[in-house]
Amino acid sequence: MDKRGTDKMLSIYWFLVLTLVAGGVFAMVYIFYGAPHDVREIESELLAQKLADCISKRGVIPSYFFVGERFNENLLKGFTERCNINFDVEEDYGDENEIQYFYRVNFYLIRDLNNPVFSVYDGNLNWESECYIKKDNSKEYQRLAKCTESRFYAVDSKDNQYLIKILSAIGKSKKNVKQ
Amino acid sequence: MKKRGAILVENVVFLILNLLFLSILVLFLVKQGSGATVLEEAYSKQITMVINSAKPGMVIRLDMDKGRKIAEEKGFDFGNSVIIENNVVYVQLTPDGRYSYAFFNNVDVSSRALKDEKGKYSGTYLFTVKPKGGNLNG
Repeated sequence: MDKRGTDKMLSIYWFLVLTLVAGGVFAMVYIFYGAPHDVREIESELLAQKLADCISKRGVIPSYFFVGERFNENLLKGFTERCNINFDVEEDYGDENEIQYFYRVNFYLIRDLNNPVFSVYDGNLNWESECYIKKDNSKEYQRLAKCTESRFYAVDSKDNQYLIKILSAIGKSKKNVKQ
Repeated sequence: MKKRGAILVENVVFLILNLLFLSILVLFLVKQGSGATVLEEAYSKQITMVINSAKPGMVIRLDMDKGRKIAEEKGFDFGNSVIIENNVVYVQLTPDGRYSYAFFNNVDVSSRALKDEKGKYSGTYLFTVKPKGGNLNG
């Protein structure tokens, strides 16, 4: 009789453990699938790659970037469109329908890597400042823009060497971070 | 003899309950991973990333068989599951909900669900990337 009583107690205890395990699994799965996939990092890399393809054709900067010896200032307008990039695509992103993209391309001469000789940018400037904030895994930081900084070397038609730095940033926290 | 029988019944019931519990758990995990909402989001982001890295002239095939099965289960036409308009990819697998995600690559993309010899959807989607304003049928 005692043994059967102990067995019953063990069964109840066993089901209690199972319920706890099930609860834990349900909670973890709910949290995992409840949060959206964050693809902003890949997206910002793709944006940087697309810009790099546009700036350098087999390591040479196209001639339309220059007027004589200097960079063509007219490039500042319409550079995004020239690179086949369209930022005007948002339908329901952000609270104020802001543009969710940003990029800045800086050209440095090899002899002076601190001061860019030419700079071109487009998109939402708010995302640029977020790129320089040190991020951790807390929820508030996850909502900041995801950025990619890439660099490469290229030459112009007169064989002047340039270091080109591209900073690209993607906002889109509404679609990529659990609200 | 009677006591032994009782112990056996208890053990069997205990075993069945345990199996039931584990089955429900596994079913829940499988269901969650292949739910329409999760797949709609995954497909739309996947398609967006593919388009962002694509160049005009490319033809891309994407296996969406899991999505086809869900669409057929829910009575939704798989041929209308992916719509690409104004740089936004819309994926819909059920009559009720859909998920959208925007791409920055300034190209026109046409999408088409492929069919097999019997005229049924094969579960593969075909994406044709063309320059903006270019001919999509060529």
